[in-house]
Amino acid sequence: MRSMMAVALLGAIVTTTSALAADGTAGKAKLPGTTWQSIAQLPDWSGVWELDWRAGAGRGGAGMPKLTPESQAKLDKYRVDQKEGKNAQTNTANCDPPGMPQIMTQPYPVEFLFTPGKVTVAIEAYSQMRRIYVDGRPHADDPDPTYQGDSIGHWEGDTLVVDTVGFIDDSLIMPGIGHSDQMHIQERIRRVSPDVLEIQRTISDPKVLTEPWKVTLTYKRHTDWTLKEYICAQNNRDSADSEGRADMNLKR
Amino acid sequence: MNSPTRTVRSLAMGAVTLLLTVGIATAHHSTAMFDMQHTVKVTGTVTQFDWTNPHTFIWMDVMNNGATEHWSVEGMSPNYLSRNGWSRHTLKTGDKIDMEVHLLKDGRKGGFCSTVTLADGKTLRNLPGPRT
Repeated sequence: MRSMMAVALLGAIVTTTSALAADGTAGKAKLPGTTWQSIAQLPDWSGVWELDWRAGAGRGGAGMPKLTPESQAKLDKYRVDQKEGKNAQTNTANCDPPGMPQIMTQPYPVEFLFTPGKVTVAIEAYSQMRRIYVDGRPHADDPDPTYQGDSIGHWEGDTLVVDTVGFIDDSLIMPGIGHSDQMHIQERIRRVSPDVLEIQRTISDPKVLTEPWKVTLTYKRHTDWTLKEYICAQNNRDSADSEGRADMNLKR
Repeated sequence: MNSPTRTVRSLAMGAVTLLLTVGIATAHHSTAMFDMQHTVKVTGTVTQFDWTNPHTFIWMDVMNNGATEHWSVEGMSPNYLSRNGWSRHTLKTGDKIDMEVHLLKDGRKGGFCSTVTLADGKTLRNLPGPRT
């Protein structure tokens, strides 16, 4: 009985696989990064990668986006609020992850994992993960807004080109600057030298930015590091109130 | 150790420290509740060391004019510190330490740790220092 079930199960798997191949994925299997064989031809991004703040990648060195008057007014208010002791970082202070794009500029490393049809970015900060589908699929039709957004990509030689849409309302372009439902993030990711990875990032949002904001982020490789656990809720003593005023809890 | 002595860093060094501090600390919460422009020196005895995310905490007893004050000082995360010379064994209950602290602005006995000097004289940075 058990062996008959196994045969039946195997048959079902073969049938399913055949059905997948028949619906057009067979042609897409030729795209780089969609088979183990083609993954072996991709550049070596092993190790973990730490944002290099000194290379101008940090917020200070990246220049400011050009804002619509409405967004500029919001940023001005954010800065006034900061001076009044409101930090206006309520979400992350309360352990809500920042989402895209700021999850890619945290002071903790990221790791790239290649599996057929997908590049996964494992992110130490807040123990997050991005999934970038490189199997030729289009964006999800009307994707649910998420922290990391809906990412599709493809390889152009040694460069991974990523297109991301569909973000939760709470994520920020940078501190004090929110986004609209039209935010669109494009990334061109490549290793420019053995231990340096570069992301050319373009953020478009016609309701917030008067022109696309282009930034080059630089990451350095650490082959002797591993990603560590980061559970923000473990011992968060700095939660913020509704106005973003963090209050350090000194109770034992 | 009596009343803490205020240490004012040189302007140039302070500016670099602040830039890095802002970049790194904004990952989680802002540093608005701390006086990031100045540090004070505090000597105390460790009563507990929390090696936890998103921040480490050093709990210590500080003698001030004959009275014991209970201090709580936040630090960088274990993820950051373990890559910069610290471990969960760096501090243990009973250790006597000297600390440079960015005080809480609200006057409570606590702040954000800048450096710790152990009994053997070894100084460990907690907040990243100026880099070249």
